[in-house]
Amino acid sequence: MIITATHYLVLSLIIFCLGLVGVMVRRNFITVLMSLELMFNAVNLNLIAFSYRLDDLAGQVLAIFVITVAAAEAAIGLGLIIALVRLKDTVSLDEADVMRS
Amino acid sequence: MDHYVPILIFTLIAVSVPIIILMIAKVVRFGSYDPVKAEPYECGIEATSFALDTRFSIRYYLIAVLFVVFDVETIFLFPWAVVFDELALFGFIEMMVFLAILLVGYLYAWRRGALEWA
Amino acid sequence: MGFLIENFGAIFFFLVAALTVAGAVGVVTLRNPVHAALALLETFVMVAILFILRHAEFLAAVQVLVYAGGIMVLYLFVIMLVKVKDLRAEDAFLLNIAPLAVLGGVLLGALLAAGILLGTMAAGDGAVAALQTIGDETVGNTEAVGWLLFTKFLVPFEVVSVVLLVAMIGAIVFGRRDAALSGPGEGVEP
Repeated sequence: MIITATHYLVLSLIIFCLGLVGVMVRRNFITVLMSLELMFNAVNLNLIAFSYRLDDLAGQVLAIFVITVAAAEAAIGLGLIIALVRLKDTVSLDEADVMRS
Repeated sequence: MDHYVPILIFTLIAVSVPIIILMIAKVVRFGSYDPVKAEPYECGIEATSFALDTRFSIRYYLIAVLFVVFDVETIFLFPWAVVFDELALFGFIEMMVFLAILLVGYLYAWRRGALEWA
Repeated sequence: MGFLIENFGAIFFFLVAALTVAGAVGVVTLRNPVHAALALLETFVMVAILFILRHAEFLAAVQVLVYAGGIMVLYLFVIMLVKVKDLRAEDAFLLNIAPLAVLGGVLLGALLAAGILLGTMAAGDGAVAALQTIGDETVGNTEAVGWLLFTKFLVPFEVVSVVLLVAMIGAIVFGRRDAALSGPGEGVEP
């Protein structure tokens, strides 16, 4: 049995959907951000699978950019958590409703 | 294939060394259990609070973010160093632009006192 | 037994894939954020192995370096910055799970070694020529990635530095001690 790009795409899909469910279902801000990281990883898997399938390095370079953006996202997202904790002493997203009219 | 044999050997050695050390320690030592042994070590002073009840200072977050940013910078520096000979002056200039932009952030962190602990 | 040897690559892939999904499920379901972070770490390492299998060695190194080494530390710091509630006292002492931890470490190391081995086997069939060449010259994966990064992807590369700059400045603004919105969450010295 040979592992093809399809296997990787299905795996990527599963991880992406799990991340999406985590973002939608969880109320803990930290876990939501972790689920976002899962989605980033699924995207990277996709890029790598196609890079291998098409024999093209561009996918790997793009994955490096995705990782960079994910790092920046983690830094800012966790900064938001700190701001929320300072303001309301909680990490629950339900409490983050200061802008609700 | 041949290129990776050293890495494979290195990985195996790196994994086996701590296991062997732990095994030796397990065989040699006395097996007495004492709840005091399980306490966190704080320079010999009795722990004043439960570890998970304390909060870390917010400055750890700043240090960690600066670490992550420069960590990401390193992953660009590494392939740059590998292909430096082919890129020559052009590559040097583009990396200097990259570093200059990040230097702005570094100077900002410095001016804002993010690097100071007190 | 012959089946096992013949399909070792596929079996290995499914094993790693299953562990990746297990880690992802852990991130979404575990209630304790520290446990979720550890599950996330496991997923990161497994994805790195998958990268090696698809001949992206440099990216695998980057994955471990940035995700497992950098972003994970950031997450754990923030989890500790926010008080970890609902954590049972016995969870604090890792003594009783030490054998399990060692076993897990050994398994992860063995998987990583097997991944490197399999990745090199896959490299032998010559199907991935472009993943390690500049022009006609055969070089390492890192060198090929670097060449593409600093020629074709020059503009995105420079723009990425601005993204990092914004991340850094944003983090400093949020993390400043004298931030205007300092409230009950102000940290204490450990």
